[in-house]
Amino acid sequence: MTKQITQEELQKIVQSIPMLSASASQLLQVASQPDHDLMDIVNLVRNDAHLTARVLKIVNSAAFGLVNNIASIDRAVSYLGERVVVSIAIADCSSKVFEKELSGYESAGGVLWKHDLRTAIAAREVVIQSGADINSELAFTAGLLHDIGKALISDYLHGTVTDAIELLTAEEDLDYLDAEEKLAGFDHTRAGYELAKAWQLPDELAEVIRHHHEPSNAKEEFRALVYAVHLGDNIAMLGGFGTGSDSMRYKLDRKYTDYIDIGPKTLATIMLNVDIEFEKLEGSFHSSGEKN
Amino acid sequence: MGQIVLGVGDYGASNTPGDDVKTFALGSCVSVIFLDPKTRTVGMAHVALPDSSINKAKATEKPGYFADTAVPALLALMTKFGCHPRGKGIVVKLCGGANVMDTNDTFQIGKRNALAIKKILWSYGMGAVSEDLGKNYSRTVSISVSAGQITLSSPGKPNWQL
Ligand SMILES: [Fe+2]
Ligand SMILES: [Fe+2]
Repeated sequence: MTKQITQEELQKIVQSIPMLSASASQLLQVASQPDHDLMDIVNLVRNDAHLTARVLKIVNSAAFGLVNNIASIDRAVSYLGERVVVSIAIADCSSKVFEKELSGYESAGGVLWKHDLRTAIAAREVVIQSGADINSELAFTAGLLHDIGKALISDYLHGTVTDAIELLTAEEDLDYLDAEEKLAGFDHTRAGYELAKAWQLPDELAEVIRHHHEPSNAKEEFRALVYAVHLGDNIAMLGGFGTGSDSMRYKLDRKYTDYIDIGPKTLATIMLNVDIEFEKLEGSFHSSGEKN
Repeated sequence: MGQIVLGVGDYGASNTPGDDVKTFALGSCVSVIFLDPKTRTVGMAHVALPDSSINKAKATEKPGYFADTAVPALLALMTKFGCHPRGKGIVVKLCGGANVMDTNDTFQIGKRNALAIKKILWSYGMGAVSEDLGKNYSRTVSISVSAGQITLSSPGKPNWQL
């Protein structure tokens, strides 16, 4: 039996995670305001020399295959889109979280980031293809952050995978959140929510982190967004990009149909687009930036 | 001794003893496995979606991606190893096609993949002799060319054979 995390220990774990950079934090705030525009994003990036350099390096990387280099930050931001710029800012200051080896789920370093990126892309595609009235850029950002809690509890789940699977096989109604809670004391949505509070994330993002496995429990005003990420998460897992032992061992919240209308054919299109978009974005984040 | 690792939408074959043909973490994707006892050739396609009509360009670039184009492409490849062009004598096995818990019809992509594969196989008079489909966990598949043995694995579970 492993050690259970107490409330005090969870706070200590949260405090051991570096804070978001000021730019990342402000970008998340602006991105969740319904009436912002791209210039608000541009101005925030412009004020951060390091972030500006990263954004320019990525937009000019081989992955985007531009014929002429982009030198101005406003052109770079409008080319990449808000979601990619926000991702760059987050990835840059919290690689400790996203690149962490999830030994508690038998996953290597980098797997969480890939799952999060797939979820982000899929959540946005779900919004676009269904035509639902949800901010697709925000769905992407929320998808990127939805599973941060796994990085917090993973070490405490080390060595529990066989027990977790045996538990879920014996009791068919339980999902991996139940296993996490039984084996570590907290599931990854509750742990992630604590980090969301410490990072002072906007309410809608905290709500996604807390309720992405059962969006019907999310606050009504944010529920559609939470559903978009919920579907994105399921699509990422079905597409073979889970985070290890827990992949597909969660429940589909079928009430999503009250908010998002997709049929089998649209879902197939979404899955295909996710594969194509993932290849492009993954490459750009990992590229050295050298094109010539 | 080589490893042939197939990603999503890839297909491949080998008759080199000591080779392993592998694919990692199948979710709703289905792995179609062809074993030809006569030429001792092993082939596999990692199928993501049932029907190529949603994107013809993708099907041309990656025929292994869709059920209806993967089976003919894999057969054509097997023919280069001396197998019968319409699959006579080839042993077919299927695995993958998982679901999430409490799924609805729309999200049963795995089931639609498996059905589409079976349909195209039937048109060649072929059918799977064994399958390990559905459930709600990921599967990694490894086939040894020498033994024609298929080993499946999933985190937290003992390995099993197909
Ligand atoms: Fe999750
Ligand atoms: Fe997830």
